Amino acid sequence: MSLSHAEPGIAAPLVLLDTRVRMETPEGIDLILRPAGLLPRSVAFGIDLMIRGVLLGVLFFVLGTLGDFGTGLFMLALFLGTWGYMVLFEVLHQGRTPGKQIMGLRVIHDDGTPIGWSASVLRNLLRFVDMLPFGYCVGGFTCLQHPLFKRLGDLAAGTLVIYRDLPPQRSSLAEATAVSPPLPLLLEEQRAIQAFAERHDTLSPARAQELAAIVTQPLQLATSPDPHYPVQQLHGIARSLAGSS
Amino acid sequence: MRLTDASVVIRPRTSWEAIDLGVLLAQRHRALLMTSWAIVTLPVFALITLLLWDYLSVVVLVFWWLKPAYERLPLLILSQALFGSAPSLRQALKSFPSALKPQLIASLTWRRLSLSRSFYQPVQQLEGLDGLPRAQRIAVLGQKDSRAARLLTALGSTLELTFWIGLMVLFYAMIPPQIEADWSWRSLLDIEGEWNWLEHLTNGFYALVLIVWGPVYVSCGFALYLNRRTALEAWDIELGFRKLRQRVMGSAVALLLGGCLALTLLPSSALAESALNPSMTDPSMADEIPSESGNSCPLPPLDNPQTDENVASPDSPRLRNQLLTSQASQDAIHSVLEQPPFKNPKPVSGWRIAQPKQDASHDARSAETLTWLARLIVGLLNVGKTLSTLFGALLWTLVGLTVAWVIWRYRVWFATFVGKSTPKAIAPQDLPQQLFGLQVRAESLPADVADAAERLWQQSPREALSLLYRALLSRLLTDYQLPLRSADTEVQILARIAELKQPSLDDFSHELTRHWQNLAYGHQMPPDQARQTLCADWRKLFAQGPGA
Repeated sequence: MSLSHAEPGIAAPLVLLDTRVRMETPEGIDLILRPAGLLPRSVAFGIDLMIRGVLLGVLFFVLGTLGDFGTGLFMLALFLGTWGYMVLFEVLHQGRTPGKQIMGLRVIHDDGTPIGWSASVLRNLLRFVDMLPFGYCVGGFTCLQHPLFKRLGDLAAGTLVIYRDLPPQRSSLAEATAVSPPLPLLLEEQRAIQAFAERHDTLSPARAQELAAIVTQPLQLATSPDPHYPVQQLHGIARSLAGSS
Repeated sequence: MRLTDASVVIRPRTSWEAIDLGVLLAQRHRALLMTSWAIVTLPVFALITLLLWDYLSVVVLVFWWLKPAYERLPLLILSQALFGSAPSLRQALKSFPSALKPQLIASLTWRRLSLSRSFYQPVQQLEGLDGLPRAQRIAVLGQKDSRAARLLTALGSTLELTFWIGLMVLFYAMIPPQIEADWSWRSLLDIEGEWNWLEHLTNGFYALVLIVWGPVYVSCGFALYLNRRTALEAWDIELGFRKLRQRVMGSAVALLLGGCLALTLLPSSALAESALNPSMTDPSMADEIPSESGNSCPLPPLDNPQTDENVASPDSPRLRNQLLTSQASQDAIHSVLEQPPFKNPKPVSGWRIAQPKQDASHDARSAETLTWLARLIVGLLNVGKTLSTLFGALLWTLVGLTVAWVIWRYRVWFATFVGKSTPKAIAPQDLPQQLFGLQVRAESLPADVADAAERLWQQSPREALSLLYRALLSRLLTDYQLPLRSADTEVQILARIAELKQPSLDDFSHELTRHWQNLAYGHQMPPDQARQTLCADWRKLFAQGPGA
């Protein structure tokens, strides 16, 4: 597998910047990954830190009543919480600690496969390097400078933190009678028209008319004294593209 | 601003992703942003430090307070870099003062503490709005993503603080412990001493941290702003529509152009036909053709039948308007074909006649003799080469033969040292059970042979001697592994014992055999002291017990 933008491209010297990376599997399927940057990751880490702090604090007071035995148990819990929390959640919960779950993130191998034990242990052991010299300075700095937002642990373990893909929601199209498009449209163009109809309520009418005016001529939309008529027709085309359902 | 020139992929994103895009944008123009930021901020920091040398915290506060002023420079650079090429350092610095002027006081006073500073900064700097229009605009923009903008500022200041403390910790970690101890002593003794410079150094770390984070912060806010406008104004849809228009209308224009050309083509093609037959046309007319076609619309190559023919030929250059031309790909193919495994060039050295130069003006005869001589010499030299190959082969054969002969000659010597597997112990069932009609198996003997023999001696010396002799044979078979066979005679056994080269055993065996033979065959009773000596010797020789 290869990251498309990591390869030296022959065609375009200046690639368009994007927060998505396209990865091709050996089967020739393109996976689209969205690496997550420093800020959502630090928020996720903060949440995880808080959860651990609260749990360990409660445990400290509960086990404190048991005397020395309780202290011993607390030490064990502290060890497990420090070293095991991230690893166990990442491997057993599809790369998501509670903090990452809340922030919509997950950890994967940088070839797109689910994270395994060795990679997870490695990336979490190297937190102790990323923490240097104070409060994840090294990790934060590398994260800001790396094109895929990797900290040192991610670089060593070959992992990647990405945004989880949420199941797509079907947004409602604008009400219109279906009109079949006057000429065959490419996929991208179909998508643009669909998006136009889906986002009609976030667009101001004037802007919608402006956009429709761009395609009035090529799509042979009928002209009419009503300036909103082309917009209606575009909505109709979108409806016919979407099908009857 | 043309959307088609954007250097980022325009698409509505989540607010976090928009911030990530800002980080990427800052990464791409990292060097320019950081250098320009450093050039602007570091002198300002030095100036403030010098003016307020004795007010340490005030220096940082003032420097921090002026941040919105510096932040206009990265936004200036990024806004130009987004839709076109990034300005050079000189251009950016030159246009910085004009970008600094508008609404500076507002930025530095009542808007200074706004958490959405970076998100709304483009509204006043790039859109140039102020007063009520600005407020309305911000209200529209801030319907979404303003939470992310506030979080960005909050997290950003945390990050600044972290990096700052990190740098300080790093600095103190680098100080050798001896000096550190000394320092703490002195700082304990005189707190008011000459330690200002250290504090100013610490302040300087903040300026350094801002070089890294400042541009990124501005870039993230700018990306949030772009994202919001993309969503509000459907920039991605506009891009899609423009592409659609270009595809459909572009081909329509080409059709129109083609029709126009078809009309202009008629006379020129007629002329071209006549030009094919030069004998029938005068040269002046042929000369006119290019000028005429130069006046008319230029022909697209595909519409011209003649160029069509050219295009059809496989060797003609094609794809001339792409980055990967056919010429370049041909070159690449040839260079690959010149390398192994397609071609394996091997240097071959030998004597050949030099090719005579074409322009050499020798007379024929001398040239002929020369070539004849040269051929002879080259032939001789090449014979030498063949001979050398042959000789080499002979030498190698000789080496091989010598090695083989050495091995053959010293095969015994080698056999001594090259490990022969140790001779297998004779399996117990191979041992003869009887010799001379005597049981020689160890199990048939008493445990203490000498005692038994001494006791027997009183009743029948014959049995005692036979017992001793049987025991000796048994020991020879088991302890010394002598290959005795039932066909061996007593003397043969003695000879084998002699091969063992053990004098005491040898003497004992001789003595015992003599007495046994005398008694068995000659019926001569052994002398009484023989009992003592034989039993004592037996004990001496085999005291360690049977089978030890």
